[in-house]
Amino acid sequence: MDWHEVAVTVSSQGEEAVADLFYQLGCPGVSIEDPELLQSYVESGVWDYHDFGEVALTGQSVVTGYFAEGKDLPAKLSQLEAGLQKLLERFPEWVLQVKGATVKEEDWATAWKTYFKPIHVGQFLIKPTWEEANPVDGDVVLELDPGMAFGTGTHATTTLCLHALAERVQPGIEVFDLGTGSGILAIAAAKLGARVKAVDLDPVAVRVAQENVEVNRVSDVVEILQGDLGTVLHGRADLVVANIIADVILALLSDLPRLLRPKGVFLASGIIENRAVDVEEGLIQAGFKILERREDSGWILLMARWDSIAPI
Amino acid sequence: MAKKVVGLVKLAITAGKATPAPPVGPALGQHGVNIMAFCKEYNERTKDQAGLIIPVEISVYEDRSFTFITKTPPASVLLKKAANINSGSSEPNRKKVAKVNRGKVREIAELKMKDLNAASVEAAMRMVEGTARSMGIEISD
Repeated sequence: MDWHEVAVTVSSQGEEAVADLFYQLGCPGVSIEDPELLQSYVESGVWDYHDFGEVALTGQSVVTGYFAEGKDLPAKLSQLEAGLQKLLERFPEWVLQVKGATVKEEDWATAWKTYFKPIHVGQFLIKPTWEEANPVDGDVVLELDPGMAFGTGTHATTTLCLHALAERVQPGIEVFDLGTGSGILAIAAAKLGARVKAVDLDPVAVRVAQENVEVNRVSDVVEILQGDLGTVLHGRADLVVANIIADVILALLSDLPRLLRPKGVFLASGIIENRAVDVEEGLIQAGFKILERREDSGWILLMARWDSIAPI
Repeated sequence: MAKKVVGLVKLAITAGKATPAPPVGPALGQHGVNIMAFCKEYNERTKDQAGLIIPVEISVYEDRSFTFITKTPPASVLLKKAANINSGSSEPNRKKVAKVNRGKVREIAELKMKDLNAASVEAAMRMVEGTARSMGIEISD
Protein backbone atom coordinates (compact mmCIF):
# COMPACT_ATOMS: atom_id res chain seq x y z
CA MET A 1 0.00 0.00 0.00
CA ASP A 2 1.22 3.51 -0.81
CA TRP A 3 0.85 6.51 1.44
CA HIS A 4 0.92 10.24 0.84
CA GLU A 5 3.20 11.95 3.29
CA VAL A 6 2.66 15.60 4.17
CA ALA A 7 5.42 17.32 6.12
CA VAL A 8 4.56 20.73 7.55
CA THR A 9 7.32 22.93 8.92
CA VAL A 10 5.92 24.91 11.82
CA SER A 11 7.06 27.25 14.54
CA SER A 12 7.04 25.68 18.02
CA GLN A 13 3.69 27.29 18.86
CA GLY A 14 2.08 25.88 15.75
CA GLU A 15 3.01 22.26 16.40
CA GLU A 16 -0.12 21.14 18.22
CA ALA A 17 -2.56 23.08 16.08
CA VAL A 18 -1.14 21.54 12.90
CA ALA A 19 -1.05 18.07 14.44
CA ASP A 20 -4.68 18.57 15.37
CA LEU A 21 -5.60 19.27 11.73
CA PHE A 22 -4.17 15.86 10.83
CA TYR A 23 -6.15 14.14 13.60
CA GLN A 24 -9.35 15.82 12.43
CA LEU A 25 -8.78 14.42 8.95
CA GLY A 26 -8.61 10.91 10.35
CA CYS A 27 -4.84 10.45 10.76
CA PRO A 28 -4.19 8.13 13.71
CA GLY A 29 -1.20 10.24 14.64
CA VAL A 30 1.75 12.29 13.43
CA SER A 31 5.50 12.17 13.76
CA ILE A 32 7.33 15.26 14.93
CA GLU A 33 10.92 16.29 14.35
CA ASP A 34 11.84 18.84 16.96
CA PRO A 35 15.45 20.04 17.36
CA GLU A 36 14.63 21.55 20.77
CA LEU A 37 13.48 18.18 22.03
CA LEU A 38 16.68 16.62 20.73
CA GLN A 39 18.73 19.25 22.47
CA SER A 40 16.87 18.73 25.73
CA TYR A 41 17.79 15.02 25.58
CA VAL A 42 21.40 15.81 24.73
CA GLU A 43 21.66 18.25 27.63
CA SER A 44 19.77 16.15 30.17
CA GLY A 45 22.45 13.47 30.23
CA VAL A 46 19.92 10.60 30.13
CA TRP A 47 21.77 9.04 27.20
CA ASP A 48 25.15 7.38 27.74
CA TYR A 49 26.42 8.81 24.47
CA HIS A 50 25.12 9.64 21.02
CA ASP A 51 26.16 10.73 17.56
CA PHE A 52 24.09 13.87 17.06
CA GLY A 53 26.93 16.36 17.31
CA GLU A 54 25.79 19.94 17.80
CA VAL A 55 22.05 20.49 17.49
CA ALA A 56 21.03 23.48 15.39
CA LEU A 57 18.13 25.26 17.08
CA THR A 58 15.78 26.90 14.62
CA GLY A 59 12.63 27.35 16.71
CA GLN A 60 10.93 25.21 14.10
CA SER A 61 9.76 21.64 13.97
CA VAL A 62 8.33 19.41 11.27
CA VAL A 63 4.96 17.73 11.78
CA THR A 64 4.39 14.81 9.39
CA GLY A 65 1.10 13.05 8.77
CA TYR A 66 0.10 10.34 6.30
CA PHE A 67 -2.96 9.67 4.19
CA ALA A 68 -3.65 6.43 2.36
CA GLU A 69 -3.41 6.83 -1.43
CA GLY A 70 -6.84 6.40 -2.97
CA LYS A 71 -9.94 8.20 -4.09
CA ASP A 72 -10.36 10.14 -0.82
CA LEU A 73 -6.86 11.57 -1.01
CA PRO A 74 -7.54 14.74 -3.09
CA ALA A 75 -10.43 15.71 -0.79
CA LYS A 76 -8.32 15.15 2.33
CA LEU A 77 -5.44 17.17 0.93
CA SER A 78 -7.66 20.09 0.01
CA GLN A 79 -9.24 20.00 3.48
CA LEU A 80 -5.78 20.04 5.01
CA GLU A 81 -4.76 22.92 2.78
CA ALA A 82 -7.86 24.88 3.77
CA GLY A 83 -7.19 24.19 7.46
CA LEU A 84 -3.60 25.35 7.16
CA GLN A 85 -4.73 28.44 5.27
CA LYS A 86 -7.15 29.38 8.04
CA LEU A 87 -4.47 28.84 10.62
CA LEU A 88 -2.10 31.05 8.65
CA GLU A 89 -4.62 33.85 8.42
CA ARG A 90 -4.79 33.99 12.19
CA PHE A 91 -1.22 33.05 13.08
CA PRO A 92 0.96 33.91 10.07
CA GLU A 93 4.15 32.81 11.82
CA TRP A 94 2.91 29.32 12.72
CA VAL A 95 3.09 27.51 9.38
CA LEU A 96 6.23 27.90 7.32
CA GLN A 97 6.39 25.22 4.66
CA VAL A 98 4.35 22.30 3.37
CA LYS A 99 5.84 19.37 1.43
CA GLY A 100 4.13 16.31 0.04
CA ALA A 101 5.55 13.00 -1.16
CA THR A 102 4.48 9.44 -1.83
CA VAL A 103 5.99 6.70 0.32
CA LYS A 104 5.81 2.97 -0.28
CA GLU A 105 5.19 0.53 2.51
CA GLU A 106 8.06 -1.70 1.40
CA ASP A 107 10.44 1.23 1.87
CA TRP A 108 10.07 1.11 5.63
CA ALA A 109 8.29 -2.12 6.56
CA THR A 110 11.41 -4.22 6.25
CA ALA A 111 14.10 -1.63 7.03
CA TRP A 112 14.70 -3.16 10.48
CA LYS A 113 15.79 -6.42 8.85
CA THR A 114 19.16 -4.86 8.08
CA TYR A 115 19.84 -4.79 11.81
CA PHE A 116 18.40 -8.20 12.73
CA LYS A 117 21.49 -10.40 13.09
CA PRO A 118 22.01 -13.95 14.39
CA ILE A 119 21.79 -13.95 18.16
CA HIS A 120 22.20 -16.52 20.92
CA VAL A 121 19.45 -16.84 23.52
CA GLY A 122 20.56 -19.58 25.90
CA GLN A 123 21.08 -22.68 23.83
CA PHE A 124 19.13 -21.27 20.89
CA LEU A 125 20.82 -19.59 17.96
CA ILE A 126 18.23 -17.37 16.30
CA LYS A 127 19.19 -16.88 12.71
CA PRO A 128 17.34 -14.54 10.34
CA THR A 129 16.64 -16.54 7.17
CA TRP A 130 18.61 -14.04 5.09
CA GLU A 131 21.74 -14.18 7.27
CA GLU A 132 24.60 -16.66 7.46
CA ALA A 133 25.51 -18.18 10.83
CA ASN A 134 27.93 -20.80 12.08
CA PRO A 135 26.31 -22.86 14.81
CA VAL A 136 28.55 -24.65 17.27
CA ASP A 137 27.88 -27.96 19.02
CA GLY A 138 24.79 -27.78 21.20
CA ASP A 139 23.26 -24.82 19.41
CA VAL A 140 19.60 -25.26 18.58
CA VAL A 141 19.14 -23.20 15.44
CA LEU A 142 15.88 -21.32 14.92
CA GLU A 143 15.61 -19.84 11.43
CA LEU A 144 13.27 -16.92 11.33
CA ASP A 145 11.67 -14.34 9.09
CA PRO A 146 9.13 -12.62 11.33
CA GLY A 147 7.71 -10.43 8.53
CA MET A 148 5.12 -8.23 10.16
CA ALA A 149 4.38 -10.74 12.94
CA PHE A 150 5.66 -10.32 16.48
CA GLY A 151 8.60 -12.38 17.65
CA THR A 152 12.18 -11.92 16.50
CA GLY A 153 13.47 -13.53 19.63
CA THR A 154 15.18 -10.36 20.74
CA HIS A 155 12.33 -8.90 22.78
CA ALA A 156 12.46 -9.61 26.52
CA THR A 157 9.02 -11.24 26.52
CA THR A 158 10.26 -13.79 23.96
CA THR A 159 13.68 -14.47 25.49
CA LEU A 160 12.02 -15.14 28.87
CA CYS A 161 9.87 -17.78 27.15
CA LEU A 162 12.80 -19.32 25.25
CA HIS A 163 14.78 -19.81 28.48
CA ALA A 164 11.74 -21.29 30.24
CA LEU A 165 11.02 -23.64 27.31
CA ALA A 166 14.63 -24.84 27.32
CA GLU A 167 14.22 -25.83 30.98
CA ARG A 168 10.75 -27.30 30.79
CA VAL A 169 10.38 -29.06 27.45
CA GLN A 170 11.19 -32.78 27.43
CA PRO A 171 11.21 -34.83 24.23
CA GLY A 172 7.80 -36.23 23.43
CA ILE A 173 5.66 -33.83 25.46
CA GLU A 174 2.82 -31.90 23.92
CA VAL A 175 2.96 -28.09 23.86
CA PHE A 176 0.30 -25.48 22.99
CA ASP A 177 1.57 -22.06 21.91
CA LEU A 178 -1.18 -19.47 22.24
CA GLY A 179 -0.69 -16.28 20.18
CA THR A 180 2.18 -17.73 18.21
CA GLY A 181 3.07 -14.61 16.14
CA SER A 182 6.12 -15.49 14.07
CA GLY A 183 5.96 -19.06 15.43
CA ILE A 184 9.30 -18.75 17.19
CA LEU A 185 8.21 -20.40 20.45
CA ALA A 186 6.41 -23.24 18.68
CA ILE A 187 9.50 -23.94 16.61
CA ALA A 188 11.77 -23.75 19.66
CA ALA A 189 9.59 -26.27 21.52
CA ALA A 190 9.54 -28.54 18.46
CA LYS A 191 13.33 -28.44 18.15
CA LEU A 192 13.53 -29.52 21.79
CA GLY A 193 11.46 -32.59 20.90
CA ALA A 194 7.89 -31.51 21.64
CA ARG A 195 4.81 -31.95 19.50
CA VAL A 196 3.23 -28.52 19.14
CA LYS A 197 -0.07 -26.90 18.28
CA ALA A 198 0.20 -23.16 17.81
CA VAL A 199 -2.69 -20.73 17.44
CA ASP A 200 -3.08 -17.14 16.38
CA LEU A 201 -6.08 -14.98 15.57
CA ASP A 202 -4.14 -12.92 13.06
CA PRO A 203 -4.04 -14.45 9.56
CA VAL A 204 -0.76 -12.62 8.83
CA ALA A 205 0.87 -14.27 11.84
CA VAL A 206 -0.49 -17.68 10.83
CA ARG A 207 0.98 -17.37 7.35
CA VAL A 208 4.34 -16.17 8.68
CA ALA A 209 4.42 -18.88 11.36
CA GLN A 210 3.63 -21.58 8.79
CA GLU A 211 6.47 -20.37 6.56
CA ASN A 212 8.88 -20.39 9.49
CA VAL A 213 7.78 -23.88 10.49
CA GLU A 214 8.57 -25.07 6.97
CA VAL A 215 11.96 -23.33 6.85
CA ASN A 216 12.85 -25.05 10.11
CA ARG A 217 11.62 -28.44 8.80
CA VAL A 218 9.36 -29.10 11.77
CA SER A 219 6.05 -29.29 9.88
CA ASP A 220 5.66 -32.93 10.94
CA VAL A 221 5.46 -31.95 14.62
CA VAL A 222 4.05 -28.40 14.54
CA GLU A 223 0.50 -27.60 13.59
CA ILE A 224 -0.37 -23.92 13.07
CA LEU A 225 -4.04 -23.06 13.53
CA GLN A 226 -5.89 -19.85 12.89
CA GLY A 227 -8.74 -18.70 15.05
CA ASP A 228 -10.10 -18.43 18.53
CA LEU A 229 -8.78 -20.80 21.19
CA GLY A 230 -12.23 -22.05 22.07
CA THR A 231 -12.99 -23.28 18.58
CA VAL A 232 -9.75 -24.43 17.02
CA LEU A 233 -7.79 -26.05 19.83
CA HIS A 234 -8.73 -29.49 21.09
CA GLY A 235 -7.08 -31.91 23.47
CA ARG A 236 -4.74 -31.16 26.34
CA ALA A 237 -1.06 -30.29 26.49
CA ASP A 238 1.70 -30.88 29.02
CA LEU A 239 2.84 -27.30 28.64
CA VAL A 240 0.98 -24.19 27.50
CA VAL A 241 2.89 -21.05 26.62
CA ALA A 242 1.20 -17.70 26.00
CA ASN A 243 3.38 -14.72 25.15
CA ILE A 244 0.63 -12.18 24.63
CA ILE A 245 -0.42 -9.40 27.04
CA ALA A 246 -1.85 -9.34 30.56
CA ASP A 247 -5.50 -8.89 29.61
CA VAL A 248 -5.51 -11.62 26.99
CA ILE A 249 -3.82 -14.00 29.41
CA LEU A 250 -6.45 -13.22 32.05
CA ALA A 251 -9.18 -13.84 29.48
CA LEU A 252 -7.83 -17.23 28.48
CA LEU A 253 -7.46 -18.58 32.03
CA SER A 254 -10.98 -20.01 31.89
CA ASP A 255 -9.98 -22.14 28.86
CA LEU A 256 -6.96 -23.67 30.56
CA PRO A 257 -8.72 -26.52 32.43
CA ARG A 258 -9.57 -28.10 29.08
CA LEU A 259 -6.20 -27.26 27.50
CA LEU A 260 -3.65 -28.13 30.19
CA ARG A 261 -3.13 -31.56 31.72
CA PRO A 262 -3.33 -31.95 35.52
CA LYS A 263 0.43 -31.94 35.93
CA GLY A 264 1.00 -29.45 33.18
CA VAL A 265 2.90 -26.19 33.32
CA PHE A 266 1.64 -22.82 32.12
CA LEU A 267 4.10 -20.16 30.96
CA ALA A 268 2.47 -16.73 30.91
CA SER A 269 4.55 -14.00 29.32
CA GLY A 270 4.14 -10.55 27.74
CA ILE A 271 3.02 -9.22 31.12
CA ILE A 272 4.09 -5.66 31.80
CA GLU A 273 5.46 -5.23 35.31
CA ASN A 274 2.58 -3.23 36.75
CA ARG A 275 0.03 -5.82 35.61
CA ALA A 276 1.87 -8.83 37.01
CA VAL A 277 -0.05 -8.73 40.29
CA ASP A 278 -3.38 -8.94 38.42
CA VAL A 279 -2.20 -11.96 36.46
CA GLU A 280 -0.78 -13.63 39.58
CA GLU A 281 -4.12 -13.17 41.36
CA GLY A 282 -5.98 -14.41 38.30
CA LEU A 283 -3.80 -17.51 38.12
CA ILE A 284 -4.29 -18.30 41.80
CA GLN A 285 -8.04 -17.83 41.52
CA ALA A 286 -8.07 -20.10 38.49
CA GLY A 287 -6.47 -22.85 40.60
CA PHE A 288 -2.79 -22.38 39.81
CA LYS A 289 0.23 -22.34 42.03
CA ILE A 290 2.90 -19.90 40.89
CA LEU A 291 6.23 -21.71 40.63
CA GLU A 292 8.35 -18.80 39.53
CA ARG A 293 8.24 -15.15 38.53
CA ARG A 294 10.96 -13.88 36.22
CA GLU A 295 11.63 -10.35 35.10
CA ASP A 296 13.52 -8.82 32.19
CA SER A 297 13.45 -5.14 31.17
CA GLY A 298 10.12 -4.47 32.87
CA TRP A 299 8.42 -7.59 31.50
CA ILE A 300 7.32 -10.54 33.61
CA LEU A 301 7.06 -14.26 32.91
CA LEU A 302 5.02 -16.34 35.32
CA MET A 303 5.53 -20.08 35.50
CA ALA A 304 2.55 -21.85 37.05
CA ARG A 305 1.22 -25.33 37.72
CA TRP A 306 -2.23 -26.51 38.79
CA ASP A 307 -2.43 -26.43 42.57
CA SER A 308 -3.11 -29.66 44.52
CA ILE A 309 -6.50 -30.45 43.01
CA ALA A 310 -6.31 -30.91 39.30
CA PRO A 311 -9.32 -29.52 37.45
CA ILE A 312 -11.39 -31.93 35.42
CA MET B 1 27.17 -1.47 29.13
CA ALA B 2 26.97 2.07 27.79
CA LYS B 3 24.78 2.25 24.72
CA LYS B 4 25.06 4.76 21.92
CA VAL B 5 21.89 6.55 20.83
CA VAL B 6 21.52 6.91 17.07
CA GLY B 7 17.99 8.25 16.77
CA LEU B 8 15.23 10.12 18.56
CA VAL B 9 11.69 9.75 17.27
CA LYS B 10 8.69 11.66 18.56
CA LEU B 11 5.24 10.44 17.67
CA ALA B 12 1.82 11.67 18.75
CA ILE B 13 -0.39 8.62 18.37
CA THR B 14 -3.58 7.14 19.78
CA ALA B 15 -3.06 5.35 23.07
CA GLY B 16 -3.52 1.60 22.93
CA LYS B 17 -3.91 1.62 19.14
CA ALA B 18 -0.43 1.82 17.61
CA THR B 19 -0.16 -0.22 14.40
CA PRO B 20 2.71 -0.70 11.93
CA ALA B 21 0.91 1.71 9.54
CA PRO B 22 2.08 5.33 9.31
CA PRO B 23 3.12 7.33 11.19
CA VAL B 24 4.67 4.56 13.34
CA GLY B 25 6.03 2.43 10.50
CA PRO B 26 7.97 5.03 8.49
CA ALA B 27 9.23 6.87 11.59
CA LEU B 28 10.63 3.75 13.25
CA GLY B 29 11.40 1.74 10.14
CA GLN B 30 13.96 4.28 8.92
CA HIS B 31 15.82 3.82 12.20
CA GLY B 32 15.75 0.05 11.95
CA VAL B 33 13.48 -0.47 14.96
CA ASN B 34 11.33 -3.59 15.03
CA ILE B 35 7.96 -1.91 14.53
CA MET B 36 5.79 -4.70 15.97
CA ALA B 37 7.82 -4.81 19.16
CA PHE B 38 7.27 -1.09 19.67
CA CYS B 39 3.54 -1.32 18.95
CA LYS B 40 3.06 -4.12 21.44
CA GLU B 41 4.90 -2.26 24.17
CA TYR B 42 3.31 1.15 23.53
CA ASN B 43 -0.20 -0.28 23.39
CA GLU B 44 0.27 -2.18 26.61
CA ARG B 45 1.70 0.82 28.45
CA THR B 46 -0.99 3.27 27.27
CA LYS B 47 -3.97 0.95 27.40
CA ASP B 48 -5.56 2.79 30.32
CA GLN B 49 -5.73 6.01 28.29
CA ALA B 50 -7.08 4.37 25.15
CA GLY B 51 -8.55 6.86 22.68
CA LEU B 52 -6.46 9.85 23.80
CA ILE B 53 -3.48 11.02 21.75
CA ILE B 54 -0.44 10.21 23.87
CA PRO B 55 2.88 11.54 22.55
CA VAL B 56 5.83 9.21 22.85
CA GLU B 57 9.56 9.89 22.59
CA ILE B 58 11.60 6.93 21.45
CA SER B 59 15.36 6.69 21.86
CA VAL B 60 16.90 4.30 19.33
CA TYR B 61 20.23 2.67 20.18
CA GLU B 62 23.02 1.48 17.93
CA ASP B 63 21.91 -2.16 18.21
CA ARG B 64 18.39 -0.95 17.18
CA SER B 65 16.94 -1.67 20.59
CA PHE B 66 14.80 1.17 21.92
CA THR B 67 13.39 2.76 25.04
CA PHE B 68 10.57 5.25 25.20
CA ILE B 69 8.75 7.63 27.48
CA THR B 70 5.16 8.77 27.09
CA LYS B 71 4.04 12.35 27.64
CA THR B 72 0.81 14.12 28.54
CA PRO B 73 -1.80 14.42 25.78
CA PRO B 74 -1.60 17.56 23.55
CA ALA B 75 -3.37 20.69 24.80
CA SER B 76 -5.75 20.53 21.82
CA VAL B 77 -6.87 17.05 22.83
CA LEU B 78 -7.34 18.08 26.47
CA LEU B 79 -9.21 21.23 25.40
CA LYS B 80 -11.59 19.24 23.23
CA LYS B 81 -12.20 16.92 26.14
CA ALA B 82 -12.78 19.86 28.51
CA ALA B 83 -15.15 21.54 26.04
CA ASN B 84 -16.81 18.24 25.21
CA ILE B 85 -16.43 18.66 21.45
CA ASN B 86 -15.04 16.35 18.77
CA SER B 87 -13.35 18.93 16.60
CA GLY B 88 -12.34 22.55 16.63
CA SER B 89 -13.97 25.28 14.56
CA SER B 90 -13.47 25.38 10.81
CA GLU B 91 -13.33 29.17 11.10
CA PRO B 92 -11.78 29.86 14.48
CA ASN B 93 -11.83 33.66 13.97
CA ARG B 94 -15.49 33.95 13.30
CA LYS B 95 -17.15 30.80 14.52
CA LYS B 96 -16.59 29.84 18.16
CA VAL B 97 -17.56 26.26 18.88
CA ALA B 98 -17.21 26.09 22.64
CA LYS B 99 -16.20 27.87 25.82
CA VAL B 100 -13.66 26.78 28.37
CA ASN B 101 -13.13 28.74 31.57
CA ARG B 102 -9.80 30.03 32.77
CA GLY B 103 -9.77 27.59 35.68
CA LYS B 104 -9.86 24.69 33.23
CA VAL B 105 -7.10 26.31 31.16
CA ARG B 106 -4.99 26.52 34.31
CA GLU B 107 -5.67 22.84 35.06
CA ILE B 108 -4.55 21.85 31.56
CA ALA B 109 -1.51 24.13 31.79
CA GLU B 110 -0.53 22.62 35.15
CA LEU B 111 -0.93 19.08 33.81
CA LYS B 112 1.15 19.91 30.75
CA MET B 113 3.66 22.06 32.58
CA LYS B 114 6.24 19.27 32.80
CA ASP B 115 6.12 18.74 29.04
CA LEU B 116 5.86 22.35 27.88
CA ASN B 117 8.76 24.60 27.31
CA ALA B 118 7.24 27.24 29.62
CA ALA B 119 8.90 29.20 32.41
CA SER B 120 5.76 29.54 34.53
CA VAL B 121 2.18 28.28 34.75
CA GLU B 122 1.08 31.64 33.37
CA ALA B 123 3.31 31.16 30.32
CA ALA B 124 1.97 27.61 29.90
CA MET B 125 -1.58 29.02 30.17
CA ARG B 126 -0.83 31.45 27.36
CA MET B 127 0.29 28.55 25.17
CA VAL B 128 -2.89 26.61 25.98
CA GLU B 129 -4.98 29.72 25.29
CA GLY B 130 -3.24 30.13 21.94
CA THR B 131 -4.15 26.56 21.04
CA ALA B 132 -7.74 27.18 22.21
CA ARG B 133 -8.08 30.27 20.03
CA SER B 134 -6.74 28.42 17.00
CA MET B 135 -9.50 25.87 17.51
CA GLY B 136 -12.32 28.37 17.94
CA ILE B 137 -12.66 27.73 21.66
CA GLU B 138 -13.45 30.85 23.64
CA ILE B 139 -11.85 31.40 27.03
CA SER B 140 -14.26 32.65 29.68
CA ASP B 141 -13.47 33.93 33.17
